[in-house]
Amino acid sequence: MSAELATLVDYWFGDLPPEREAAFEEHLFGCAECTGKLQELVALGAAVRNAWRAGAVRAVISPALYEAMKKEGLRLREYPVLPGGSVNCTIAASDDFVVSRLSAPLAGVRRLDLVTDAERFEDVPFDAAAGEVLMCPAPAPLKRRGAFTHRVRLVAVEDAGERLLGEYTFEHAPS
Amino acid sequence: MEDAELARAIAGSAPAIDAAAEGEFCRRFAPRVRLYGLRHLRDRHAAADLVQQVLMMTLERLRAGKLREPERLASFVLGTCRMVCMDQRRGAARRADLLEEWVIPEEAVEDAEPRVFERDRLAACLEVLSERERSVVISSFFEESISELGLSGGNVRVIRHRALGKLRTCMESA
Repeated sequence: MSAELATLVDYWFGDLPPEREAAFEEHLFGCAECTGKLQELVALGAAVRNAWRAGAVRAVISPALYEAMKKEGLRLREYPVLPGGSVNCTIAASDDFVVSRLSAPLAGVRRLDLVTDAERFEDVPFDAAAGEVLMCPAPAPLKRRGAFTHRVRLVAVEDAGERLLGEYTFEHAPS
Repeated sequence: MEDAELARAIAGSAPAIDAAAEGEFCRRFAPRVRLYGLRHLRDRHAAADLVQQVLMMTLERLRAGKLREPERLASFVLGTCRMVCMDQRRGAARRADLLEEWVIPEEAVEDAEPRVFERDRLAACLEVLSERERSVVISSFFEESISELGLSGGNVRVIRHRALGKLRTCMESA
């Protein structure tokens, strides 16, 4: 990322110290090119937000994002699952998201991988204090799928090797 | 036309109106004021109101020949943005007065069509990011303020820079 774009990003997210922010705004108001670049960043942000709302993207999310989605009135279907647990699940046409709440003993874990039958997602974000991982599959493709079984494992990656924290089974059926 | 020439053209035409110069002034500064509003108010409608208010106040000043340093037009507009945002209550009363006197055509203050990012391509590019990067990017733009999964502010900033750089490169390679 160019230094200039990095400054625009920092400005947009309030990461510049106050005196730098004031000076940068003076520059921005006199710079048509910088205005164009900031407009493009804002448009990219709107596109990311819209793609997320439209269910085109999957992610492991933070409790704060989960709360923000609820606050915005998005309809979330939730499935809390304990380690070793199995759950019958679905997604209805009226659901905006499915949130799988994977409970796990996360205290002391530094790196967490999420492993499915097909893929391994390395270093997923997690909140150790919450003791759970919030997994949001992309809803749009999920709504088009038939019945299937989805297995997920959470694995702590440590200096001494790997440690299985939990295995979770989702028996998905179309709504 | 430089900012100073623009300011002088508007002031020099008073009491007549130089529609071309005023149109150019609005086209030039409306996007900057809107971005300022979005950044500080985090609300699209409040930002649109700010655009109208700041442009009206500045045009009023220009027409009255009260801008002492025309070459500092951009600074004056920025200062007006700051003042209005800091004093919403007074601004609201002032705005009501001004709205009775001034009408700025919508087309003069609308942004040019924003760049459109093709959704499937964007989703594919988001998929290329690491799990942490994707989470930070989505949270950043959805929440507009981030409290991300046990990461420090500095870490979030570093991950955000890296992720947006990757995302931009991926979108441009499409």
